[in-house]
Amino acid sequence: MLLDKNSAKDKWRIRPDGKEKVTGSLQYLTDMTFPNMLVGRVLRSEYAHAEIKSINISKALQVDGVKAVLTHKDIPGLNGFGISNPDQPVFCSEKVQYEGDALAAIAAVSDEIAERALKLIEVEYESLPIVDSPEKALEKNAPLLHPKGNILHETTYFLGNMEESFEKCTHIVEETYETPRQMHTYLETEGGIFVSENGRLMVYAPTQHGYKDRMQLSRILALPEESIRIISSPIGGSFGGKDELNVQPYGALLTLACGLPVKMHYSRWESVVAGLKRHPMKVTMKTGVDRDGKLLAHQVRILSDTGAYSTLGGPVLNFATEHSVGPYIIPNVEIKGKAVYTNNGVSGEFRGFGGNQVIFALEGQMDRLAEKLGINPWELRRRNLRGMYDRGPLGQRVVPTNGALEVWDAIRKSSVFYKNKEEHQPPWIRKGIGLSMAMHGSGLGYGIPDPAGGQLRLNENGKIEVAFGHEEFGQGLIGTLEILLQDHFQCEKDDLEIIIGDTDKVPPSGSSTASRTTNMVWQALNRLKPPFLQAIFKRVTQMTGVAEKNLQTGPGGIWTKSEKEDIPSLLVITYKQLAKQGVDDLLFSTQFHYPVTPDPIIGGHYLYTCTSVAAEVEVNLLTGMVKVTDIHHTVAAGPVINPMGYLGQIEGGSIMALGFTLTEDAVMENGRYLTKNLDTYLIPTIMDVPSEQTVDAIEELPEGDEFGPRGVGEVGSVALAPAIVSAIHDATGIWIKKLPVKPEKLIRELPFLQEREA
Amino acid sequence: MNRKENLVMEKGSRMSFVLNNKPISLHVDPSKRLVDILRNNLQLTGTKISCEIGRCGACMVLIDGKAQNSCLTMAFQCEGKHVETIEGISENNVDPIQEAFLEEGGFQCGYCTPGMVISLKALLNENTDPSMDDLKEGLTGNLCRCTGYGGIHRVLQRFCATEECNK
Repeated sequence: MLLDKNSAKDKWRIRPDGKEKVTGSLQYLTDMTFPNMLVGRVLRSEYAHAEIKSINISKALQVDGVKAVLTHKDIPGLNGFGISNPDQPVFCSEKVQYEGDALAAIAAVSDEIAERALKLIEVEYESLPIVDSPEKALEKNAPLLHPKGNILHETTYFLGNMEESFEKCTHIVEETYETPRQMHTYLETEGGIFVSENGRLMVYAPTQHGYKDRMQLSRILALPEESIRIISSPIGGSFGGKDELNVQPYGALLTLACGLPVKMHYSRWESVVAGLKRHPMKVTMKTGVDRDGKLLAHQVRILSDTGAYSTLGGPVLNFATEHSVGPYIIPNVEIKGKAVYTNNGVSGEFRGFGGNQVIFALEGQMDRLAEKLGINPWELRRRNLRGMYDRGPLGQRVVPTNGALEVWDAIRKSSVFYKNKEEHQPPWIRKGIGLSMAMHGSGLGYGIPDPAGGQLRLNENGKIEVAFGHEEFGQGLIGTLEILLQDHFQCEKDDLEIIIGDTDKVPPSGSSTASRTTNMVWQALNRLKPPFLQAIFKRVTQMTGVAEKNLQTGPGGIWTKSEKEDIPSLLVITYKQLAKQGVDDLLFSTQFHYPVTPDPIIGGHYLYTCTSVAAEVEVNLLTGMVKVTDIHHTVAAGPVINPMGYLGQIEGGSIMALGFTLTEDAVMENGRYLTKNLDTYLIPTIMDVPSEQTVDAIEELPEGDEFGPRGVGEVGSVALAPAIVSAIHDATGIWIKKLPVKPEKLIRELPFLQEREA
Repeated sequence: MNRKENLVMEKGSRMSFVLNNKPISLHVDPSKRLVDILRNNLQLTGTKISCEIGRCGACMVLIDGKAQNSCLTMAFQCEGKHVETIEGISENNVDPIQEAFLEEGGFQCGYCTPGMVISLKALLNENTDPSMDDLKEGLTGNLCRCTGYGGIHRVLQRFCATEECNK
């Protein structure tokens, strides 16, 4: 189904949080103020790598208006955070490892005073050699960045026999692909407000997983988790970037030290320096085919720059390892990956989670191999594509999916291929078309706790209330829940109350990451609905005598079921009347786990989504500039629940990938960011994107599939880069292997220029 | 909101301007930007803050009807001017521009949206029959990271006066 307003019909709904957003009345957490609120600021390192000789805060403490100056000595619990491995210090004590490292934090009555006091903190450093690339980190005599060495995580996967199989290949392509240090660039920078109230700590700060922030903060503050309340929605964008702690440890420590509310809100520069980025990866692939275009051998090396600390660098590498095989059947595979510490900025979770990098490489291999074979690159893919019941990329059992074949087929009908080619173009503009595809796992994967859950009840106000520990960062969770609930209960929007983003009010639901949320709330509601309805109907029968089997939920209350079309349903009792009789026995909750493959492959995924992308580009031969003029996506992710949300995720993910391909790179030199703000770090503007993108949603699932709608938060961002690169090749004959595509580099390789220079 | 409390400032000079159609007079520290006054002193937080160098447009307001980055405007520069924020535009009812953003899915996280609405408002104030290119150019100073401008393009289609958009 081509997804748009018309095809969506009555499912195209105005978002429940929409009016507040367009009128500016929605209070983001960084918009809040409290009486007597202080401003919190963090002192960042002057060096990318240095020993700390001393920290002297005495002058800063004397500044009028400064209420607290904290260092590592003031941390009651663990001086560390990190989702998978808490090796990032809240405050450094002996060593700084990157430019964003924190040494101290100040609370003051104004930002100006805090800023002045920051400059009065005296830190003596002794600089150490800077390890600014993974290659340097792996050198024999490289400075040791972490006690266990400079390698955070290694992956290996073997299938078949490499040497023998390469000997049998007719064509082999070996290439190294490089991807940029992409920045999330959420428009709302990291921030929040911290309040200590009646012996409890209130944290108003965006995150993708409130309960996990609570756990991490409890470790740092040495406080019981129950004494911390995390209020975490609404959020001005995240894309994976706010899943890890950022301002929270500093704000929490400062408010506990002063007893007054503390507000933190990073400047863009501080967000650049301290915030996470996408892992820059060098991916070397050696891939061989036989004369019929059957893939025989695939050797992969991944080198990932994880920066100064772990956060999710290990799981991201696992994901990259798994996705470097893609939807293809290859009998002989050898993958070795390394995630390596450096003194660069910290890399972490980012939409696509390591898939984007290796998919760019893998699809590049397919195109190059097709060129060598002299066959259509799309046909080469077809010859090697997985079928419905094939195992997953690492040999694990996966939920049957025909998605790869479906998206392969569907994109061939894209109108990109049927455009009027006679269109007049200036002679210096060359057009090209490129295709690519990918399969993308959702959920956290085998061996990683991935719990889900939710709660459904009739509340005291007579509303059908759901509570989930998920977050709204723009993706449209609240709208999706509203649609699901109205579908289940045929009620009015006004009959609903949706609660998210507050650990005091919601059950644990796991994180809002890994394209898992839509699927998890769908499953939770399916589990909660039957007992909920049964309890309500039982009560109504007791009260009214109408048999349970003749009852149904509807607008405003419980209605009779009409057996014949001409007999109207009658309202038996309103939700409000029902609630007056007590609501304690009308509360239901569920806890379950994200579906996982039975095969013990750490991080291996079970549920997969597939996508194919067609991109059209115009390359300007005079400037080397590439303009993407058309993008078509097909996505096989099961039923569409919220069309506006689904379309928005694919369109938005796609343009994020356009930036990744053409302009975005947080450039670091000697461990320092050179791109300090949005004047040099260039995300796409409205002038850089095609005026329309087509999204074809393939909703059919194999017969018997019980897993329902898959999430689409990431899949729109994973496969555009190779399609653009393929289109550039179509237009110019040039193969790009390093992103972003640099016009000044491209223009040097253009054939006519080379001729002239020769 | 109790505005009176927030108007008390220790230093600076008194300035007067019209804010959302109401005259306002307050002491302003000469080092303060318009965005600081709006967000911190008047709690008009619909005006957002993001890059603070005039690149992203999240802090856009109308000054004498023109879209301006309030992070690049010193508060004292507004003496005697008409300043309108997203709160002013939304005061009575939802503007047709806002309606279009709602219906077309022109936003997700919503953080850039007030700025987008302001820029488009300024453009439509000046140009009553804009082409698609005019409309896009009017939003070049506003960054959105969520939508990929898909929904925003659909919004612009509705305000486009030329034939290309009436297909």
